[in-house]
Amino acid sequence: MSLRIAIASLLLSSLVVAEPLKELRLDHATYNPSSLVLKKYGWVEEALAREGTKVTWLFSAGSNKANELLSSGSTDLASTAGAAALLARTNGVPLKVVYVYSKPEWAALVVPKDSPVKSVAELKGKKIAATRGTDPFFFLLRTLQANGLRQTDVELVNLQHGDGRTALERGQVDAWAGLDPHLAASELQAGSRLLSRNIDFNTFGTLNAREEFLRAHPEVVRTVLAQYERARAWILAHPAEAVQILAEAAKLSPEVARKQLTERTVLDRDVGVPGEKLRAALAAVVPILRSEKLVAPGADPEKALSELLAPGPAQEARR
Amino acid sequence: MSAGATDAAGSAVGWRTGEGRLPSLRWAEPWLLPSLLLALWVLTTSVLKWFGPSQLPSPAQVLVTLRELVVSRELEPHLAASVGRIVVGFTAGAVVGTGLATLVGLSGTAARLLDPTLQALRAIPSLAWVPFLLLWLGIGELPKLVLVAIGAFFPVYVNGAAGIRNVDRRLLEVGRLHGLGGARLARRIVLPAAAPALLTGLRLGLGQAWLFLVAAELIAASRGLGFLLIDGQNSARADLMVVSIALLALLGKLADQAVRGVERRLLSWSDGFRA
Repeated sequence: MSLRIAIASLLLSSLVVAEPLKELRLDHATYNPSSLVLKKYGWVEEALAREGTKVTWLFSAGSNKANELLSSGSTDLASTAGAAALLARTNGVPLKVVYVYSKPEWAALVVPKDSPVKSVAELKGKKIAATRGTDPFFFLLRTLQANGLRQTDVELVNLQHGDGRTALERGQVDAWAGLDPHLAASELQAGSRLLSRNIDFNTFGTLNAREEFLRAHPEVVRTVLAQYERARAWILAHPAEAVQILAEAAKLSPEVARKQLTERTVLDRDVGVPGEKLRAALAAVVPILRSEKLVAPGADPEKALSELLAPGPAQEARR
Repeated sequence: MSAGATDAAGSAVGWRTGEGRLPSLRWAEPWLLPSLLLALWVLTTSVLKWFGPSQLPSPAQVLVTLRELVVSRELEPHLAASVGRIVVGFTAGAVVGTGLATLVGLSGTAARLLDPTLQALRAIPSLAWVPFLLLWLGIGELPKLVLVAIGAFFPVYVNGAAGIRNVDRRLLEVGRLHGLGGARLARRIVLPAAAPALLTGLRLGLGQAWLFLVAAELIAASRGLGFLLIDGQNSARADLMVVSIALLALLGKLADQAVRGVERRLLSWSDGFRA
């Protein structure tokens, strides 16, 4: 009797797994150029058309928003900075990094054009805008730390990336830890000056899947990643058109889009399969998570990091 | 305990609340629903684990977070910032609101000039003010105080003006017959007669000040309970979100109790007021 039930439920569960996915939910973001190309050309829709899977695109305004979409189960895949994915996993969001979509230098610390501030150390006691929980925020904390300052030595004003730019240009804050394309736009259009940059304080762009979704539909994740690889190759082969797409999607001038995409986004090395480079970059963030108390009491960033990467689907997609 | 004993001991109490059975357990009734909700919370998080910690943390996790915030003294600046904004913003809004309410309540001309405009502004939701205030007042402390003051102003104004306008004409006649006029008439007759409405306005104004405080602190803040809430949201820390919401509820309730206490004292003479 119980054996019969076991067999029946086994059959049933295999049926459930075999059933094709009805709807795939993906995010697109101005900090993830490949997602914009995919959305524009409909390659994911094309690749999944045979199974009858519908594709829905959601917009992420920043890593914090992308993590919210994942955490609430509103999307299946979402793009964040690597550090934001680690923070979310540490605080209990069940996600896995399945792909590295870029190695960007998208975060930096800037001051207004005519600011008297010449060094990071001079920011002590000053107002700095940043979006908490995103890469510029981690960039800022590490930059401050490298200059002997802590979060509590400055006044951190929490503003979403675009609003931070406005606040900086209106003189309402003394510095801004910005993110491209807003950062590039502010430099080119308002003459904002880079106070501190360091590509190694950026933690890659990662595409994250809900763990449950990855377990239930690994083949769909593989298909999406294959299309991501296609988009990456296309951008490398057609930089001018890619700049055009980014400029349109993010409502940027072509110069700003070009600066972001061709000067500050590495797409031809260290990207694709999430591996050792990403792990090392994230391991450098762990002490900050602890010392600045960004994780819930009892949460374990080391453990989260050890469980974070799922390179399998990307390796298979590249084959 | 028999019904007869209850009747003999306190028929007035029994009459007022409308039922006489089991008075000894009545104190527990307000706690019934919260206890059930708490049990449900424990059940769905710690026991059944329907919700992950990033969606709804368990009560135990929330308490650990709260203790951590208190012990490390990280909570203090947030509490101080929020309470300070309420005190300053509410006071400003209440003073302006009471002043305009008196003006509009006493003078028909002032009412025709001001009231329609103020009633129209009242319909603007708190979040709709935010971009405008950020644009004109920047991102410092001032726009937050102004937003809280706006929140406090309207209930104080609306209730106060109505209360003053509706003061019994016969009371005014009596006052005039006794030779009172102008400021003395206002102080001796109008304000006491309108006091219940004014105090209700203050209480509602304080409640709305808390609502507007959160709107103010959601944007461009670096301290305050609303900031703590958005910080929890940005870093996937639902425990922080629950802690800040619980503290907002607690402080709002305490503030409300304080005004009720004042109300009870000031209105103990009034027939219509039941302490």
